[in-house]
Amino acid sequence: MKRYTINPVRYLFVVILLLSSAGGCSNLQTNTSLYTDIGGKEKLEKVFGLAISRIYNDPILYPHFKGVPKKALRKKLVDQTCALIGGPCEYTGKSMKKAHNERDVTEVEFYRLVEHVQYAMRRMGLSYQQENLILQKLAPLKSDIVYQNGEGNPE
Amino acid sequence: MRTYLLIVFFLLYSPWVSATGSRLISSGGITSFEGSSGGGITPWALIAGYGAKEEVQGSGSLQLLDTGEYQLKTVGFAIGLYDRLELSYQRQTLSVSSAVVGNVFNVLTSGTVDSAPGTDIEQDVVGLKLKLWGDAIFSEETWAPQISLGIQYKQNLDFETSLPLADGSVALPDQGIPLLLGAKDDSGTDVYLSASKYLLGVAGGNNLLANMTARWTKANTFGLLGFSSNDDDDYSLEWEGSIVVALSPFTAVGAEWRTQTDRLDGLAKEETVNDVFIAYFPNKTLSLTAAYVDLGNLPFDDNASGFYLSVTVNL
Repeated sequence: MKRYTINPVRYLFVVILLLSSAGGCSNLQTNTSLYTDIGGKEKLEKVFGLAISRIYNDPILYPHFKGVPKKALRKKLVDQTCALIGGPCEYTGKSMKKAHNERDVTEVEFYRLVEHVQYAMRRMGLSYQQENLILQKLAPLKSDIVYQNGEGNPE
Repeated sequence: MRTYLLIVFFLLYSPWVSATGSRLISSGGITSFEGSSGGGITPWALIAGYGAKEEVQGSGSLQLLDTGEYQLKTVGFAIGLYDRLELSYQRQTLSVSSAVVGNVFNVLTSGTVDSAPGTDIEQDVVGLKLKLWGDAIFSEETWAPQISLGIQYKQNLDFETSLPLADGSVALPDQGIPLLLGAKDDSGTDVYLSASKYLLGVAGGNNLLANMTARWTKANTFGLLGFSSNDDDDYSLEWEGSIVVALSPFTAVGAEWRTQTDRLDGLAKEETVNDVFIAYFPNKTLSLTAAYVDLGNLPFDDNASGFYLSVTVNL
């Protein structure tokens, strides 16, 4: 004689699974228009303008950018991100691997930079979802940025 | 006492302590009740805290689960080294109500003894987790998970602790609850392999974390009821899973399950554990998680479920 009750845990589990798979579908649509959704090149310039001013004020990150004009860096980051999120741009800079060659960027520095960009995206009015979709495109670049001294490990 | 110190510590300091680790917020998961970083009931491949490759970070945690007849309190700490290795220690205390202990005696003595005070079963869990491969978030291939191998050495401290009756006499000397229920050993080592993937911008633009853990264990109810039985001294393979959706940088909801193999039968029959949780990450120093956990059957509590609270403080 087993008492039959609806298990709330199992029920919620199914709801969460459905929610996440539904999200997966809507992603397909938003992906193509992400560039226009966020407000195009103008918005990207604002985001990276703010991110770069924070990066140049960060005592840990600044040494890596000594002698690099802010404007040139901003153009590269904007073009690259624009191209990655489906905008009409062409990234003409060096490959990420080349650009960070012999730089020995640490993971600490990498995460700090990501946090400055995240902050700037939020500050410039991008939604959390747009922020994640942009991060999704940038995330695979990490392995080309961190520890490019050939070892892939701290010394 | 230690529990209170920990609570006082986080109340006093968490708003002012700036985050020390560099990894992104919520990317360290929370702390499971066995001390390994992960979800609420299962370890993940992530290394505890927010330490990057160049950093060493520590965290303290506290978990409380109340099913009515049973209360589980766990408290401990973990150290994450260079986003590669995790060491953890957790002290678990399972309080068993006097109704349950009385019923156990009633069955074992065929009714001669039918009441007894409640008791505590304590267990130490020492964990070691090694990241073998990958990066759960920033991987070159978007699908590639982070994989870690872990062990949890568990020592049940009340395997042979006599249970005094209300008048102080001992009916069954040197037999604690795990032994009375048929467990064979007071310690055991679990080995697990975890794969975690943190997908950015997939659940309607939200982030999704999926984890799968395979565990080899001889434990009865996580070791709280001892290890192995006279009929079954083999390792069994258990599956544990978590799926979590981050709804904002600071909140996540998720669900988990964890299979168990039934070795003791009868009273201590084991079933799959489930939970749903909501986690809040106000800053990198603190995470608070509220959950509803269904443990399935525990002795004399065939629907053992209740609320679960988990606090992690990253130092």
